[in-house]
Amino acid sequence: MSTRPGNNDFTVKIANVNGTGSASANALLMKTFFRMGIPVVGKNYFPSNIQGLPTWYEIRVSGEGYLARSGRVDVMVAMNAETYQKDLEEVAPGGYLIYDSTWPRAKTLHRDDISVIGIPLAKMCNEHFDTARSRVLMKNVAYVGAIAGLLDLDLDVIRDSLRQTFAAKAHLADANQQAIELGYNYVRENYQCPLPFQAIADNKTSDHVMIDGNTATALGCLYAGATVGAWYPITPSTSVMDAFKGFCEKYRVDPDTGENNYAIIQAEDELAAAGMVLGAGWSGARAFTPTSGPGISLMNEFLGYGYFTEIPAVFIDVQRCGPSTGMPTRTQQADVMSCAYASHGDTRHVLLFPANPEECFYMAVQAFDLAEQLQTPVIMLTDLDIGMNDWMAADFKWDDAYKPSRGKVLGEKELQEIEQFHRYLDSDGDAIPYRTLPGVHPKGAYFTRGSGHNMYGAYTEDAGEYQEIVDRLRRKWETAKCYVPQVEQEYSEQYRTGIIAYGSSDGAVREARDQLHKAGVGTNYLRVKAFPFTDDVQEFLDAHDRIYVVEQNRDAQLHNLLLLETRVSQEKLIPILHYNGLPINAAVITDRISQEVDKVVAA
Amino acid sequence: MKPTDTSNPDYFHKVVDCQWACPAHTDVPGYIRLIAQGRFTDAYMLNRKSNVFPSILGRVCDRPCEPACRRGRVEDKPVAICRLKRVAADNRGDVSELLPTAPKVKNGKRVACIGAGCASLAVANDLIPLGYEVVMYEALDKPGGLMRTNIPSFRLPVDVLDEEIRMIVDMGVDLRLSSPIESMTQLLSEGYDAVFVGSGAPKGKNLEIPGRYDDPDHVHIGINWLESVAFEHIDSIGEKVLIIGVGNTAMDCCRTSLRLGAKDVKVMARKPRDFFKASDWELEDAEEENVEIVINRSPKAFVMEDGKLAGMLFDVMEYDLDERGRITDTRTTGEEFFPATDVVLAIGQENAFPWVERDIGIEFDQWDVPVVDRKTHEGTRKGVFFGGDAAFGPENIIWAVEHAHQAAISIHKHCQGEDVADRLPDGQNLASAKMGIHEWSYSNDYDTSERKIVPHVDLATRFRELNIEVELGFSAEQAAEEVERCLNCDIQTVFATNLCIECDACVDICPVNCLTITADGSEEDLRTRLSAPAENIEQDLYVSPGLPQTGRVMVKDEDLCVHCGLCAERCPTAAWDMQEFSLLHPHVGHEAEPDTAQVVRKWGT
Amino acid sequence: MSTLCAGCGHDSVTGALVQAAFELDIPPHRMAKLSGIGCSSKTPAYFLRQSHGFNSVHGRMPSVATGANAANGSLSYVGVSGDGDTLSIGMGQFTHAVRRNLNMLYIIENNGVYGLTKGQFSASADLGSKAKKGDANQQPPIDPCQVVLALGGSFAARSFSGDKQQLVPLIKAGLAHRGFAVIDVISPCVTFNDHEGSTKSYKFTRDHYHPAIHADYVPPSQEILAEYDEGSAMPVELHDGSKIVLRKIDEYYDPTDRSAALTQIQQAQTDGEIITGLLYIDESKPEMQEINRMPSVPLATMSYEKLCPGNDKLQALQDRFR
Repeated sequence: MSTRPGNNDFTVKIANVNGTGSASANALLMKTFFRMGIPVVGKNYFPSNIQGLPTWYEIRVSGEGYLARSGRVDVMVAMNAETYQKDLEEVAPGGYLIYDSTWPRAKTLHRDDISVIGIPLAKMCNEHFDTARSRVLMKNVAYVGAIAGLLDLDLDVIRDSLRQTFAAKAHLADANQQAIELGYNYVRENYQCPLPFQAIADNKTSDHVMIDGNTATALGCLYAGATVGAWYPITPSTSVMDAFKGFCEKYRVDPDTGENNYAIIQAEDELAAAGMVLGAGWSGARAFTPTSGPGISLMNEFLGYGYFTEIPAVFIDVQRCGPSTGMPTRTQQADVMSCAYASHGDTRHVLLFPANPEECFYMAVQAFDLAEQLQTPVIMLTDLDIGMNDWMAADFKWDDAYKPSRGKVLGEKELQEIEQFHRYLDSDGDAIPYRTLPGVHPKGAYFTRGSGHNMYGAYTEDAGEYQEIVDRLRRKWETAKCYVPQVEQEYSEQYRTGIIAYGSSDGAVREARDQLHKAGVGTNYLRVKAFPFTDDVQEFLDAHDRIYVVEQNRDAQLHNLLLLETRVSQEKLIPILHYNGLPINAAVITDRISQEVDKVVAA
Repeated sequence: MKPTDTSNPDYFHKVVDCQWACPAHTDVPGYIRLIAQGRFTDAYMLNRKSNVFPSILGRVCDRPCEPACRRGRVEDKPVAICRLKRVAADNRGDVSELLPTAPKVKNGKRVACIGAGCASLAVANDLIPLGYEVVMYEALDKPGGLMRTNIPSFRLPVDVLDEEIRMIVDMGVDLRLSSPIESMTQLLSEGYDAVFVGSGAPKGKNLEIPGRYDDPDHVHIGINWLESVAFEHIDSIGEKVLIIGVGNTAMDCCRTSLRLGAKDVKVMARKPRDFFKASDWELEDAEEENVEIVINRSPKAFVMEDGKLAGMLFDVMEYDLDERGRITDTRTTGEEFFPATDVVLAIGQENAFPWVERDIGIEFDQWDVPVVDRKTHEGTRKGVFFGGDAAFGPENIIWAVEHAHQAAISIHKHCQGEDVADRLPDGQNLASAKMGIHEWSYSNDYDTSERKIVPHVDLATRFRELNIEVELGFSAEQAAEEVERCLNCDIQTVFATNLCIECDACVDICPVNCLTITADGSEEDLRTRLSAPAENIEQDLYVSPGLPQTGRVMVKDEDLCVHCGLCAERCPTAAWDMQEFSLLHPHVGHEAEPDTAQVVRKWGT
Repeated sequence: MSTLCAGCGHDSVTGALVQAAFELDIPPHRMAKLSGIGCSSKTPAYFLRQSHGFNSVHGRMPSVATGANAANGSLSYVGVSGDGDTLSIGMGQFTHAVRRNLNMLYIIENNGVYGLTKGQFSASADLGSKAKKGDANQQPPIDPCQVVLALGGSFAARSFSGDKQQLVPLIKAGLAHRGFAVIDVISPCVTFNDHEGSTKSYKFTRDHYHPAIHADYVPPSQEILAEYDEGSAMPVELHDGSKIVLRKIDEYYDPTDRSAALTQIQQAQTDGEIITGLLYIDESKPEMQEINRMPSVPLATMSYEKLCPGNDKLQALQDRFR
């Protein structure tokens, strides 16, 4: 689906080599649109490498506020000679390609249907800046200046951003400003500026922030009162703990004693990280571990243990491209199945599916409440697209009246009063037993074990006693449906076609529905936010003739989960799958659904 | 060993082997890169700045650059530099707007140039833009000198020659054809501010042996004979031709003979092949045309039969050589007769200045060659300058051009009342070629292709007419591949000692093992201790001062570096950088420029 | 009631642990006992019923203990593990607990054999030691005490389930030690490794038993009453004010000198002796809570108000993202 660019409706893509410090230049560019009041979203496609491999950054400027990839490149900044050819091919007809003409390569960079803009970036920077490092860095800043010239960006906004970023280092602000002007002046002097499509200042970004999901998740953990974070570094989840550490250093260091009201433990591996989280949860702390698919594989043993022994714990899986090591820096939603039933034996886990950084913030808090209410591990599944890309989000708000739901925990007083405590007794009929914390009271002592135990917490190999426990756990699953977040849906009785999606596919689905609507195809939409599925999901499935399940994996994992966990018939549940590692765009959905609608009409 | 002083422009200049070897210091890698970008006009103009006659030299240059080419050390064959020059000339666009022009207001100084060959023309090219009035005297009725008279048109087409001469003459040379100078005294009395002698070495050497004048019509002096052919005074020769001598003129003579009707042409050499003066490619071209080269035959007598030339008698020679190939002893082992209808003598040229009076302060040495200062080109009389073959005897065009550049500087200084010996030194500019982490502003991928062969017109066609150019020149595709063979030696590896952390990344990555970090030592010692022994003592070692952490030194053997830039790519601190070297080799324009900073700026861009 | 085989060394260790806890007067609910998987790891079920127990998964007890300790450092933590649980499947977690100097007592009930799966060699089996069916072990043993010393641990002791005189004071010292206290207890497996040719049998252990340093535990309030020979006794004060008086049985052994201790242990191994006692102690090394500047109030019980920065700070913080 390719439309023409217009004012405040275009995509700029920057092809670069990683390790050149292009990230800050790209962030500056994106922030400039944002500060001009124009909705914008940035997608970073980077290699699993520190220096030298290709990297791309895609900025979609969308006055309409669409958040998915546009699937179109109107301005390509081709800074990586190795990928020139590919980058050239990707430019939409009528688009522009900017390249560093320090070494002219016009012959290889030719297409009749686009305009090629050569700027001697390296030459200008080599002449203006002293050290090799600063030359490479400033070259990136210089192309921001060039784009500013071509798209009519507000130079005052850029200047203010630089001043703010380099508040403590005035000489760096000056150098950056100089680089901006090099690029800006060059295009203004040598090319027709601005281009036919430009950035026009607007006011659509007030009360919004630009934030990535991992930072938002960390912020959620902070506000949820999480105190123990155990982790093993793994892309793309690492920045969750980086951000959490930063927040803790700012807000959790006791001003009087200098003591840390948090513990961040870098574990020796993901197995240990999971063990630490369970140990801390058992002791009564709110504990979490951020990880990704490979980490989840290693954590399976403890996930099963936590499920069976009923220990609250929060796992955050920032999904990446599998299987195996896969593509660590590309996105997918392919851990749904492995998380839903993680570990051996009959296990099932509560899953949460935030769709954007805003939901990462609020759902992280919910995850801790659910884990303690339900006394079980809760896995929040985000992905690389949400976690590491900058999204525009409405300002986060915090209700100061919030109190953490600690679930059924017997304190010293309650223990004093009861005659005897039994860990796994379903005394309330909701299948959730009471628990105690170590060290609180002698009567609260019990023995936690992953081996067979009965409702009193004692070791057992008795058939009936064992089955009583696993049956109660199944009943607890039903209780969980009342606690987990409800679906989000847009429903009109006149439509018989439904779309189900979750997580980061949301933006593409919304845009696709608008496109389909304009083409006369009406759809209803349900976004799943959690597993177990709430009753609304069954109702939505029942209410439609055809339901498309949009997701970013090869094996239709949510689709299959719906088949397993609801009464839907296979015939009417149709997967739309996108799984090449790049975030999904609307065209994938629009094209598929409109094709099939045409087929139906034709028949 | 003493750390290398890279502030002396000679150091990095020498690394650019081709540019260093070129008498005019043409920026070879620079124009090859322009060709690679398809910028033929720019490549032509860059050439013209140094060597004035790119189209001509692209065909007939003696190419001292090619034996020097680094590529020839990496594999067998150097880059086809000369023929790439021709590619630039053949494919260029209109350059008329880009050529230097004479200013409207002249500076009032008049310079006489004797001879309208390459040296005089190049002097005019340098001086006219500064406002000089140049009067050029030529004995013949066409300008060009040896370029016209002694290079056959199948090697250098006349229109190519005419065009490049016209570029200079049209700047406003007062060209006086058919005006031989009969007396220097007379000329000097005409009030010129300076005189440049570029009259060449027009006298071919004679062979004074028995029978020389018995049938003079069939014994020719090569250089004169070629001139007669060029001017169409001679259009035929007998069937059996002996060429005496084995220099480049001999090659032109034998190939010309074939085109004038000779069926059997033999080139007679006194010594073995290793002692031949002709360039390899000239020999190859002649042998391709079935010319036989006979060695170890020393001319003894012309043999007559019925008063007509029947052939020549030769001593059969034998030589003893030492292990370095030098002759230690010579013997005659017998005689041999070779029949001939014509003999062409191509045993060299000598100076002849019968028109220069010997009592006017212009001194000549024992061989009747004028005494000329190697640097200033001034003779012993102030204001009289020599260049080209007139200066130091026969050399090739590229030398003549450089003589002219230097003589022009002297003429200017003389006319301005300055000391002709006080000249600007060479300078250099280094600009980083870094574009990104793995990106340089030159093609640093080593291209393993072999040297492309320049296509020739087939044998049958080429003998049909005298003026069919044998070489066809590279096609665009061939040129595109050949330019990639250039190693970009002017993109220098520049080392910043203070930045080095001795991580060995450069040493490890270097594909030719030209880098070593080791304890300091004498050059002789260091040469044995490098990653690969540095056995080519013609090539320098680039030695750093003591490195910051261990005091060891970074040593680079310039011999085999392929300028791939991998050392700089892998260097985490940019201690190694690839920097484009530009040589500032001053011409008279620079001398005339009042502001030196201005000069450097001009050259830097 | 223990379900281990009659005569199992592990039961003796349990006995020693109970005696030590009793003598130290630790309230049972202020103690947490953790274990992994195996015969040894079953034992926490058989002692201190009023303490919180955590029988985790195989080889992963150190990580659970780390998380529990981070959440609440005010409890006494005792981990009971075996040679398989510690030196094979749990080697990674064990070594990292040593590195973190996690504040706990870590007992390895070491019998050189896998009991629950019926008699395979473990990683602590000595070279040449014979299995019940006669096969000789071909691979060198991992000595946990040497591992602790090599990794810069703060407490390494070795003892024998058959020598409570030595073991009980060592357990007390280990509990009082602030840091990761490892006691490698040779604890023979009567069923699979107590035969002729085994180097972990009761008989072999007694025949080659070499006590080097005896540790007498002296509670905080008590004075040192016993008389020790000048030069052979070395009192070491622990963080809680208690002391251990180290009695040198080997004149030359210095349990505060890491490299010397390591040399002695290796020499004993070469000589075929089982060197025992408090082999190394360093009270000065900071433990995990200190390293992380953790508060005296356990994180598990810290009030939420102390942890949540509130909405005003959230609004101010978001300016960073505009």
